[in-house]
Amino acid sequence: MENPNPAPGSENPPSAAPRQRLLYLHGRTPNVFSDVIAMTLIEPVRGYASEISAEEQDWPYATVHDAVVDGWQIVQFPHQQAPIDDRHLDVVGYEFILQKMEVIP
Amino acid sequence: MTVANHLLSDADVARFIVNGYHLVKLDFEDGLNERVGARLDELTENPGDAVTETVPELWQVLEHPALEGALVSLLGPGYTLNSHRHWHCKKPGTAYMHWHQDGANRRDVRIDSFLGLYYPRRVTSDMGPTVIVPGTQFRNAPTDRMATYFNIRGQLAMVVEAGTMALVHSALWHGTAPNTSKAKRHMVKFGFRRSRENTEPTWNHDPAALDNALDWNRRGEAEDVENILAFSNPLNVAQTDHYKERAIRRQCWDRMMGAAA
Repeated sequence: MENPNPAPGSENPPSAAPRQRLLYLHGRTPNVFSDVIAMTLIEPVRGYASEISAEEQDWPYATVHDAVVDGWQIVQFPHQQAPIDDRHLDVVGYEFILQKMEVIP
Repeated sequence: MTVANHLLSDADVARFIVNGYHLVKLDFEDGLNERVGARLDELTENPGDAVTETVPELWQVLEHPALEGALVSLLGPGYTLNSHRHWHCKKPGTAYMHWHQDGANRRDVRIDSFLGLYYPRRVTSDMGPTVIVPGTQFRNAPTDRMATYFNIRGQLAMVVEAGTMALVHSALWHGTAPNTSKAKRHMVKFGFRRSRENTEPTWNHDPAALDNALDWNRRGEAEDVENILAFSNPLNVAQTDHYKERAIRRQCWDRMMGAAA
């Protein structure tokens, strides 16, 4: 998955060391096979910025498992939300945080 | 046309409960929307709450029967206009604004207040439109907890025609996209509030509208109150959240029908 949103004029520190790419995926459930309902990519590039888009989203992964198949590693699994008999709603979906360690050219 | 001609239907009210927003198109024969846009273009500083004094045409916007019909339907005939209002001008080159809720984070089953976002000019997707997440209005999610979300399946950009008023639940997650165009994107925000509990429906209610049985084969195409409240799932959330949503929607609907009185 290439960086779709490089910051204009950004310069990376010259380094051959791998850097951490981050991918936040919010699944419908804590199951890695459930549908992804929110996605955020964070590239380890100085000046990189994510943003909310007004355009239709075309995401590369339909599930967390799809991302794992593509080489992403899960570094944080979602905590369970409210007890099942609770009547309140809180955040949307279940947050997985994934990483890829890569040398960024 | 009178306010009575513009009252919402049962299905409209049910969809507002589910999605947390309703769009009203305000047409004026004399080009009033265009005049408001031109007046806002000329402002050099933000008048804050005094925007209605600086741009008095906004009072005509607030008195449009289509808007009054929607407000009476959702807040009752004694609804009030908050003294706070604000002009939001998203200038060319302005960055996105992150998801947030207006006001305190307090999940409530009542619809007692909401925002009116008025767009005097057509808004295109590159003009930094407001973006909302339908169905998030009943979530106990403080703004800080939205910080790791950027794009959410089901989010909706307010790409609207000139003269659109978006009635938006105060707790609905909303933000903006960046303005990459060369045009200013104007929006004037108002607040509306209920003044008394409903003792009966205040919209164009048809008692027969509640008679439909749940239709499990047409869950995504619901057109009636029972099926809209039961099956709509704008965020495609999983079973537990969806069942909670159903219960909250039902409490909200019953209250609007006058159950609390």
